[in-house]
Amino acid sequence: MNQPDTAQGHDAGSDDAPVLTARGIRLGFSGTTVLDGVDLAVHPREFIAIVGASGVGKSTLLRALTGLLTPQAGRVSIPHGRDADSRAWSMVFQAPRLFPWRRVRANVELGLEGLELSRDERRRRALEPLALVGLEGMAERWPHTLSGGQQQRVGIARALAVRPRVLFMDEPFSALDAITRRRLQQELIDLRQRTEAAIVFVTHDIEEAVLLADRVVVLGREAANRPASVVARHEITLPATERRDHPDFADTVQAVEAAIGEH
Amino acid sequence: MSRSRHTLLSLGGLAGFIALWELALRSGLLPGSLVPLPSVIPGVLWAEIADGIWLEVVTASLSHYAVGVLIGSLLGIAVGVAAALLPRFNAVHAWLARLLRPIPPLAWIPFAIIWFGINPSAAAFIISIGVFWINYFASHSAVRSVDPGYDEVARAFGHVGFLSRLTRVSLPAAAPGILSGLRAGLGQGWMTVVAAELFGIPGIGQRMMEASSLLATDIVVVYMLTIAGLYALFDFLFVLLQRRLLRWQP
Repeated sequence: MNQPDTAQGHDAGSDDAPVLTARGIRLGFSGTTVLDGVDLAVHPREFIAIVGASGVGKSTLLRALTGLLTPQAGRVSIPHGRDADSRAWSMVFQAPRLFPWRRVRANVELGLEGLELSRDERRRRALEPLALVGLEGMAERWPHTLSGGQQQRVGIARALAVRPRVLFMDEPFSALDAITRRRLQQELIDLRQRTEAAIVFVTHDIEEAVLLADRVVVLGREAANRPASVVARHEITLPATERRDHPDFADTVQAVEAAIGEH
Repeated sequence: MSRSRHTLLSLGGLAGFIALWELALRSGLLPGSLVPLPSVIPGVLWAEIADGIWLEVVTASLSHYAVGVLIGSLLGIAVGVAAALLPRFNAVHAWLARLLRPIPPLAWIPFAIIWFGINPSAAAFIISIGVFWINYFASHSAVRSVDPGYDEVARAFGHVGFLSRLTRVSLPAAAPGILSGLRAGLGQGWMTVVAAELFGIPGIGQRMMEASSLLATDIVVVYMLTIAGLYALFDFLFVLLQRRLLRWQP
C-alpha cells in the first residue's frame, strides 16, 4: 500500500474483477431526478470516497448501490445475499443508530443473526471487531451510557462483524466533534490494514476524502437544475499513512476542491 | 418539597379525611344510614374474610379480570401493531375501528348475555372490550412513531423479512408505548369488572349489589377498598416488570 508510484488504490488491480459496478444509475423522488448517468466501479480492498456538496445526492447514491433504494434506471452489480458466515456488504450510518434496547455486544451481533453461526461463534465474532475499535470492555453496556464517538465505534464494529466485501460509510464522522473525528479517521486508516473489505465512503469534507481514500469521486451538477452525476475522479497518489503531514497533502486537497468548484 | 415531607403530608391528608368522616357521623352531622363509620370497616372486612365470602368473590372477579385483560390486551396489541405495519390492513379496518371505538364497553352487555349467557365468559367479554381499545391505540401509535432509521439498519444487516423486522425492530422499539398501554388497560379492567358483574355474574360487583339492596353500606365500602387495593397491587407489580423490561432506557 505504501507505493505511490504503482497503479494507485488497488495495486492488485487489473486481475481482480470489481466487487461493485454501477452503470447509468438514475434515481429520483416524487418527480425530480436526483441522480442520472452515474457510473462507478469498486475493486477489492479499494477505498473510494464520494464527495460533493450537501444535498447533491451522495447518500441517495450510496443507498442505490446497496439496494436499499431501487434505481429507476441503470444497473448495479454487487454480490448480494450472504455466505455461511459473512455478508456481501454492510453499512456505517451518519448517526450511530444503535438499537438502544440491545446491549453493545448484541448490537454488534445484529448482522450475524441469520448467518450459520452458533451462539458462541456469534459472541466471539462480535467481540473481535469490538476489540479492534478498542471497546471490548464495553460489550455489556447499554448504548446510552457511551459517548457519541464510542457509539460510532460500535457502529463500525457492527459493520465489520459480518466481514463484508464492501463496507459502505455514509458520512460516519460528520456528527462528531473535531477531536473525536480526527481520532476516528486515524483509527479507520489503521483499520484498513486489517480488513479485506473495499470501502465506499461518502463525505462532504474534501480533506477527509483525500486523507482516507485511494480514489475520490466527485458528485456534482453540470447546471443548477440538472440531476447530479460523476463530474470528476481523482486518483490519490499520496502514501497510505501519515498523509496529513505529507508536503503534497494541501495541493491534492486544492486540486479536488478545484474540480468541485467547476460544478 | 422533599420526598419525605410530601409523603408525610399525603398521609396526613388521608388520615384527616377519615377522621373528619368519623367525626361527622359521630356528631350526627351525617345520618348513619348513608355512609358507614370508618372505624367499623376493619371488623366488617374481617367478618367477610372469616365467612369465606371475601375470598370467593375476589377469586371469581379475578378470574373474569384475568381472562378479559389477557384477551383484550393480546388482541388489542396484535391488531394495533398489524394496523401500524400493514398499510392494506390499516385501510381495510380504519372505518370499522372508527365506527366501533366510541361504543362504551357496557353497551355490549345485551350481546354479552345473548352470546354467552349470564356466566363468567360474558363478564370477561365486557372487560376485554375496554382493554382492547386502550391497547389497540397505544400500540398502534407506538409502532407508527418508531424511527424508520432503525428499520433501515435492520435491512442493511440482512433482516428483510416482515417477521424478522417485527421482532428485531418494531416490537422492542415500540415497547415503551405498548407497555404504557398494557398498564392503562390493567386499570381500565378494574373499572369494568364491577359493572360487568352487576347483572348477576358472581363476583365483587354482585356482592356489592346484594349489600346495597340491604343498605349494608359498610360491606359496599369494604369491597370498594378491596378493588382499590387489588388495583394498587397489580399496578405496583406491573411497574416492577415494566422497569425490568425497559432497563435499557436512560
